[in-house]
Amino acid sequence: MRARADLTGRLLRVLRQNLPRYVLGAVAVIAFIALWAFVSWYLQDTGSPKAIYVPSPARVADAFFGSFSLLPGLEEITMWDLISSSLGRVLLGYAIALVIGFPAGLLMGSYWSADALGRPILEMFRPIPPLAWVPVFVFVFGALWGPVGIVFLGAFFPILINVMFGVKSVDPSLVDAARTLGARRRDIFVKVTMPTTIPYLMTGLKVGIGIAWMCIVAAEAIGLRGGAGLGYYISLSSLQFGLWPQTYATMIVIGILSMVTTGLASLLEQRFYKWSGMK
Amino acid sequence: MDKKIAILAIIVAAIVVVAGIAAILLTRGGEKEDTVYYTTMAPSLMDTWLAANQSSGYIAWEPFASSAVVAGTGRVLLWSDEIMPNHPCCVVVVSNSFLAQDFGGGKTGKNLTTNFLRAHMDATLWINDALAHKDGSNYSKLINMAAAFTQRSSAVVEEAFKHVRYDYGMNASFRAALAEFTEMYMSYSLVTNETLSGLGYSSVEDFVSKYADGTYLGAAGSVTETPTILNPATPIRLGYLGGDLHQVAQIVALNETYFEGTSMFEKYGLNVKANTPYLNGNAEMAGFKNGEVDVGYLGAPPAILKRLNEAIGTTIVAQANIEGSGLVVSASSDVESLHDLVGKIVATPGEASIQHLLLKIALSKEGIAFLKG
Repeated sequence: MRARADLTGRLLRVLRQNLPRYVLGAVAVIAFIALWAFVSWYLQDTGSPKAIYVPSPARVADAFFGSFSLLPGLEEITMWDLISSSLGRVLLGYAIALVIGFPAGLLMGSYWSADALGRPILEMFRPIPPLAWVPVFVFVFGALWGPVGIVFLGAFFPILINVMFGVKSVDPSLVDAARTLGARRRDIFVKVTMPTTIPYLMTGLKVGIGIAWMCIVAAEAIGLRGGAGLGYYISLSSLQFGLWPQTYATMIVIGILSMVTTGLASLLEQRFYKWSGMK
Repeated sequence: MDKKIAILAIIVAAIVVVAGIAAILLTRGGEKEDTVYYTTMAPSLMDTWLAANQSSGYIAWEPFASSAVVAGTGRVLLWSDEIMPNHPCCVVVVSNSFLAQDFGGGKTGKNLTTNFLRAHMDATLWINDALAHKDGSNYSKLINMAAAFTQRSSAVVEEAFKHVRYDYGMNASFRAALAEFTEMYMSYSLVTNETLSGLGYSSVEDFVSKYADGTYLGAAGSVTETPTILNPATPIRLGYLGGDLHQVAQIVALNETYFEGTSMFEKYGLNVKANTPYLNGNAEMAGFKNGEVDVGYLGAPPAILKRLNEAIGTTIVAQANIEGSGLVVSASSDVESLHDLVGKIVATPGEASIQHLLLKIALSKEGIAFLKG
């Protein structure tokens, strides 16, 4: 009973503390929608041929809510199916990026030889946008794994670089102290390097999931297997069908999903800090 | 130490969970009974895709069906005329603002459209005559022009020509087919009644009868040759799809080399300038919307769908070809009927394309569903 009262009290306190922040946020969102409605109305009113590309917020809202029961042009598929297919691709690409990026980052950060080996390749490939790889990946890895590979590329570099940076930012005096106390190389790695790196990994994970979502439209651009996804429907509804409200509705879904997953990652990050006593 | 191991364990567990969820999401549902799955891509990629075993078949327009046949990688399971005889395919579309344009000397875009269609008719008749006399010199001229345009070998082009029919007329069956495609779009919620009424059409029939306007074609027959160019300063900007054999009439009508220095367009007083080719009909319709195209050759479906959903001011004034698409399967596969494709993946040029709609019609006749794979 008391615990619950405590919790409510705490929630209220948090709410009160952050109230100005929430109010400002809401004002900005409302202002944005108002501006959007105005632009859409203005184009419509002046008879601009571009009006069709900027549908009103109300029409987009209609398309958004309607899409969860019926998706124009795709049979037996609703927005839920698009979400689950895209989520599957994003999570899989992301998981692979983590599995490869984390150890690679640790190695490159810890050993100069690994750094010397990996750095030129890293610096050469990092600036190439994942979009550029789409045709190659889809043909080399096939329609199921190609799109996953594109997402992987997007998430891989932020994870790798953050972990690498984390390892390099280990305080040398800590390493010296550990060595003085008789720690072996393995001990230093496990007890000093790893814990220092975790917060950086968490940042990499948070940035990575955001970029993974950014890649989904490109990833689902050609020759797709494993279900139609959000990115697929964005190009389909706009370029092929000319149903622009549906395009915006799908874009909003990507925005929400990216927000939710990034929020989860950042929640996890904070929990981790607290639990491991690093902050 | 325990805590560090716990951290590692948590990370590993998290990865496993994430990958597990992802795998479930991607493979969810499994395969349904009596369903052929599709994926969509540009036709130019389809034969590579088939050869790489990424799909079990594809449906595309010529020369993309015959190219796999000539290369020996594919064979045609079904020609589109077996699904719907005489089905329309590419059409000639004119921009409504071009129709209203004044070219001086009492000539408007309407007169120029009529002259344009006269050249289109002549070119179509010339093609049909050339194809009927394979030993004649016109046949080899046609093959040369088509091979250069499509960037394919003469062998591919000759094979492809066997399956395309060239016709400019807009008869009742043409209109009925346009209505059928529009109805199909409506059944997939791609076009709504509100869209039709918003553009002033009372029904699908009303839309088709107004959108496919036979007036200009009707008048084209009496157009005579003229030595003066009607639009010397403002050429007609011609839109077309790159390498599409269905649209070879515009290549013939533009050609001067094989026609004693005067193209068919020039013969009827027209200064016509071809745009850079468009990738597909949707891109060409965007060209119409942006005012880059006056007259264009493109597939009927994008001309319908984009006209309605994006209110692009255009009119269909003639046909360019009928039939001429094929369902290709791998030459080494044992697929003998549509039922053999159940559970497999077939590539199409896109959900709104004529090839996609035709395959859907064929499959539904056999009681097979056609879903995104």
